[in-house]
Amino acid sequence: MLPPRLKKAITDNPKKLANLIDLVNLPSTLREFVGQSQISHLGCFMRVWSYIKDNNLQDPNNKNVVKCDEKLKGILLGKPQVELCELPALIKLHFPKEQK
Amino acid sequence: MGKIPPSLRSSVSTSLIKKPSSLVPNESPSHRPHHFPKKTTKKIPPQLSEKTREPTFRNPFTSANLSDAKKVFNSIVTTTKVPLDLRVHNALLQSYASISTLNDSISLFNHMIKTHPTFSPDRSTYHVLLSQSCKAPDQTLKPVHQVLNFMLTNGFSPNKVTTDIAVRSLCSSNNVGLAVELIKEMSLKNAAPDSYTYNFLVKCLCKSSAVSTVYDFIEEFKTSFGLKPDIITYTILIDNVTNRENLREATRLVDVLAKEGIRPDCYIYNTIMKGCCTLNLGNEALEVLKKMKENGVEPDLVTYNTLIFGLSKCGRVVEAKKYLGVMVEMGHFPDAVTYTSLMNGLCRKGDVLGALGLLEEMQEKGCEPNVCTYNTLLHGLCKAKLLEKGLDLYGVMKECGMKLDTASYATLVRALCREGRVADAYEVFDYAVESKSVTDVAAYTTLEGTLKWLKKAREHGLAT
Repeated sequence: MLPPRLKKAITDNPKKLANLIDLVNLPSTLREFVGQSQISHLGCFMRVWSYIKDNNLQDPNNKNVVKCDEKLKGILLGKPQVELCELPALIKLHFPKEQK
Repeated sequence: MGKIPPSLRSSVSTSLIKKPSSLVPNESPSHRPHHFPKKTTKKIPPQLSEKTREPTFRNPFTSANLSDAKKVFNSIVTTTKVPLDLRVHNALLQSYASISTLNDSISLFNHMIKTHPTFSPDRSTYHVLLSQSCKAPDQTLKPVHQVLNFMLTNGFSPNKVTTDIAVRSLCSSNNVGLAVELIKEMSLKNAAPDSYTYNFLVKCLCKSSAVSTVYDFIEEFKTSFGLKPDIITYTILIDNVTNRENLREATRLVDVLAKEGIRPDCYIYNTIMKGCCTLNLGNEALEVLKKMKENGVEPDLVTYNTLIFGLSKCGRVVEAKKYLGVMVEMGHFPDAVTYTSLMNGLCRKGDVLGALGLLEEMQEKGCEPNVCTYNTLLHGLCKAKLLEKGLDLYGVMKECGMKLDTASYATLVRALCREGRVADAYEVFDYAVESKSVTDVAAYTTLEGTLKWLKKAREHGLAT
């Protein structure tokens, strides 16, 4: 059961939900990182976030900052370090709105 | 449920919390303190209750293929030492019916009679087939008629149990229209529905069709079959119109009720009061209570809970608290729902410390908080910018594996981001996903939206 507000959000805007969970053919940069040719926007975010956690890429002095390794740099515009709060926006860049 | 740690109670101390001994979230998180214990009493025919026990066993039939099924049946018959009774036969047929088509089930049924003469099917066996026919994919009554005729040729005329099973099966497979059609047919054929079936169908109709359709149905039954709506039907109708926020119609129904000579009972009043409360009409809710007293109906726990919930919801928490006293005086024990409603009201007013005080009071009285209480408090604490205390409480909830509700999750994430603790917000996100508190999509949408907002706020120099 979905909470009523979320349900409303989905019925109001089914496109937005679809954008998050539909599988998308990936560009080659991203394909290398996730190791598969298709992933959803949401799945990609989860993958990147767990990659950061698994490899302890958060700055120990400031947890809000991620120090990118080579692999991560490749998909996050080549930045040496990114703030956690930018992460969703950066990943969104790989999932442009107009698909078809 | 364990106790809320002492650090949360006193408003000054910020010492770390002690782990509660045992906390098992056993109540479903719901902010609506109406649990109507009795509405339509569910009548489960014996053969149905037998079915519900079944999924605990592995289905012996692994393929829908008929000849395979016959082989399985034969092997069960030959390997079992004890004679198979009717219940086993029914269960086997039911297992097969759950994966096969209707015609295959009938063939297996015939095969069972032929190869195993001690098996004498009774009405309940045919009902297994009947309930399968109701779930058939084609949108007509043809398969249902097929089984009914099959029953008749074997000497079993349908009765009201047959009708009940058919109607319930049709409704559960979203064929309310067919159920209405069938119930009319059955009423003409000596298998008239009883009031349970009738009320069940009215309830399904309310969910799926317009109010006028329901009224037409009731009118038709009254004139053609002499089946009058009873007090339960009216409770269903009133509940339905109040859920559609049509209080005027509810009042009209109460008048109709009076004309029919039915005295409204506690449940009717509770339903109306629930309607008033969801619409934030505190005065009207109090009016209902007055009316109850005038008509000599004793308010019960649900009445008081609904009233306290409603008054808290529309910001009249002082009055709500007064009714807490009243209900105790009348000999009712306020439960977690009562207190949570009041805490919710206090938090809305910004009096979180008052809510924490109430928590203490409730535990002193031996009433344990539930998941909903925790969520209400977490939401309130985060709103009132008491983030540290909120985090303490979140720690307790996490320790016990309690789920966050949508509102408290969102407020916590927002409060953390406002303080610039984005990494902690991510941690809450992880917990929400892991504990399945909210869907992944909802959790992510909230996080993404909050971070977007944070970026804007930073640009304007409003946040760190």
